[in-house]
Amino acid sequence: MTSTIDRRRMLAGAALGGAAIVGGTALGSLAPEAAFAAPVDTIEPGAPDPNFVEGRITTVLGTALFATGSDGILHRVQVTNGTSIWKLTPTTFDRISVGDGFYARGVRMDDGTLAADAVWVNIVNLHAHIAAMGRNVLHLDHKGQRIVAHVVPGTTAAVYNGTPAISDLSPLRVGAHVQVIGAWHPDTNEIDIATVYSAA
Amino acid sequence: MWWMALQPVLLAAVLGWAGAVKLSGRQAAAVARRTALRTLLGEWRAVLAYRAVGFAEMSVAVVLFGAGPRWLGAAGAVALTGGFLAYLGYARAAAPQSSCGCLGRRRTPVAWRSFVRGGLLLAAALAALASPVAWRDAVRSRPAVAVTVLLAEVALVVVFSSELDHTWLVPLRQARVRLTHPLASDPGTVPLLASVQQVQLSPAYQRVAALLRSDVREYWDDGDWRFLAHAARYESRPVTAVFAVEREHPDPDAVRVAIVDEQSGETLLRFEPELVG
Repeated sequence: MTSTIDRRRMLAGAALGGAAIVGGTALGSLAPEAAFAAPVDTIEPGAPDPNFVEGRITTVLGTALFATGSDGILHRVQVTNGTSIWKLTPTTFDRISVGDGFYARGVRMDDGTLAADAVWVNIVNLHAHIAAMGRNVLHLDHKGQRIVAHVVPGTTAAVYNGTPAISDLSPLRVGAHVQVIGAWHPDTNEIDIATVYSAA
Repeated sequence: MWWMALQPVLLAAVLGWAGAVKLSGRQAAAVARRTALRTLLGEWRAVLAYRAVGFAEMSVAVVLFGAGPRWLGAAGAVALTGGFLAYLGYARAAAPQSSCGCLGRRRTPVAWRSFVRGGLLLAAALAALASPVAWRDAVRSRPAVAVTVLLAEVALVVVFSSELDHTWLVPLRQARVRLTHPLASDPGTVPLLASVQQVQLSPAYQRVAALLRSDVREYWDDGDWRFLAHAARYESRPVTAVFAVEREHPDPDAVRVAIVDEQSGETLLRFEPELVG
């Protein structure tokens, strides 16, 4: 715990200018033009992106995830301490469980393992109508199917007409069209809402 | 079984409404293409069939109302309502994503409510066929009861018509939400997404975006500041990019970033707005 606090204090100090910079700022080489001139990996049109994996987790072994893709292909994903893990919010590896679905992006190793840079667990993106509301619940009509979308106070954000995200959900209306980014509860019709986009 | 004699009025109203929807309006062709008729008959025949069904509904409604023999109207209604149930069963099995196209232009998938309504209308048609009394005589004998029964039946049809929900159910639910405020809102908390948006619009992010490898790995608040850490790669070594945003004051130009080597604790790069004139 103390190490986390120390680490965060060190990182915060670096960002706010409390620490000396080693080897000069070197900002010149980091102008946008230079940064984006980096070579882009070229992928054959129509070929699967080798640096992307999706599937349902079948086994968790150490820091490796074994998963079955939606096309039946088996994947092995290695999570490192540099991997970001999203499960409704940025979270840690121990929150991942067997049965979760995920998308992962990273670098393919020679043995076929994906060394993950980022893993998004159970993430869903839905376009739906609000059919009804309950206590901290949106009942969504998604192509005729009912989806129970839970509001997580303190986490759920709302974006109205593309303006900056806020936590106030009161402008949402029954009958309105919404786009929802959320975390699925595996094998149910329920999700937790990360962000809801709506006109208001 | 006096109420059975009233059923032609209900059927004439519902079929007349359904026929009018199918025959009128420029959207009718578009509605027809969303129905299961398209799967059943193909694209252009679906529109023809949709119009033909509308015409049949209208004709049966007129006959039921009194323009022809009583048995003819009732038999037509039995044929139409029975046909609808069979069609709904087909649509549910063959094209579950398709729209019903029954009583309104709104896109409404076939669901259990459609079947209940279809069953109710078939029962009403059978009752009309079995009734020996004309509906005018039945209404004349007990006008008040007749109007009440008919209104109740129409209400029942509306309740089981999902394409009419926007006229009563949605406003009802909106009113309930206005009264109960079921969604807890705490305007005091600034969601993470607000800070991420601020970072992504910032000049600081533009400078280091190509170095970032991960999504937000962790974030924390300290005083007025919120910090967001990403994994990054700089001069082929793993580093941490930490952004600092003023949580309550959305100003992308004020976002700062540092690239830190956590192994050695060294700050390799820093971008502060005031450093760049």
